[in-house]
Amino acid sequence: MLAALLIAAQIAAQDPRLERLDPETRSLVVTVVDSARAVGLPGEPLIQRALEGATKGAPGTRIVAAVRRLATDLGTARTALGTHASAPELEAGVAALRAGASPQLLTQLRDVRRPPLTMALSVLADLVASGVPTDSAAAAVLALAPKARDADLVEFRRAVERDIALGAPPGAAAAVRALNTGVRSEVSGPGQQPGRPPSRP
Amino acid sequence: MFEQEDDIVERMIRQLRRPVAIDPGLDARVMREIADDAQPQAPGRRPLLRAWPWLAAAAVLGAVVIGAVVIARPWVRGSDNPDAFQFVLVAPQASSVSLVGDFNDWDPARSPMQTAHGVWATVVPLAPGRYRYAFLVNGIEWRADPGAPAAGDDEFGTPSSVVTVGGEGS
Repeated sequence: MLAALLIAAQIAAQDPRLERLDPETRSLVVTVVDSARAVGLPGEPLIQRALEGATKGAPGTRIVAAVRRLATDLGTARTALGTHASAPELEAGVAALRAGASPQLLTQLRDVRRPPLTMALSVLADLVASGVPTDSAAAAVLALAPKARDADLVEFRRAVERDIALGAPPGAAAAVRALNTGVRSEVSGPGQQPGRPPSRP
Repeated sequence: MFEQEDDIVERMIRQLRRPVAIDPGLDARVMREIADDAQPQAPGRRPLLRAWPWLAAAAVLGAVVIGAVVIARPWVRGSDNPDAFQFVLVAPQASSVSLVGDFNDWDPARSPMQTAHGVWATVVPLAPGRYRYAFLVNGIEWRADPGAPAAGDDEFGTPSSVVTVGGEGS
């Protein structure tokens, strides 16, 4: 009787958007979301990942695995970025981690840049997705982070992507564009401080 | 997604900034007109009316330039709608395209795209954050945005893209 009441209460408390999942998958996803929220992690990214899987017709097992993996990575990102990190920062942190950035790099970035860190972390992940080696992308973003505005970082990413599209080696494109954005050389060394403020578009 | 439009705008700006060649005889003509205007006006002469066609032409030209810039960069965060972003997909053969992503619960019914000659577009308001999204073509085919960064982790076997909306920045 009590168990039935608890189940009924859980179903009533479920996010109605998750009704697009089959009952078994929904139950497992709700458990992961509730566990994440219980430790202070955002639940919305987990729900969105489950909805993405449902809309794309993925099997329930794959949806649950993706949601669990995301919850784990959100926890890693929060450990690296601190308990005050916002949900968008944690999501961007997950993207950076999955791109190959280390948790230590995320912590370094937090220490040199005023929040929000969302754009810096995203640009790092996007550069790697564009083919820039992780070390080069990390070094460039870390060097730009202390002074560059979000708009500067976006322009930096676009410039690197344009260079790559024109045939430049990705690592070289990131290094040269970082130089042109006002950073001294040795962008391959994490922790490099900028020599002068970045240029403004 | 927006690089091509950026190039168009940059070309327009370069064109508008190009120095205008001025006829060497312009000064003499202007001074002559001023001297003429200083004379008592002959009955029926109305210099202001003579300027109207030029003023109208200048106004139309200005409106066209401003309109072109606004149309070419509607996604720019402006004062009217600071969080509006335009998504565009060129798909001439498609009969329907929907934008789906983290911003609309991955619900194809929420953001159907409108087409003009095979160019599909829609505008979505976005708060600061990082969003995954994709285009659903004809209700069955998933496409990433060719002009946006790819989502690195396609765990569901279909491509997605990401868009990041900045906050305050530093």
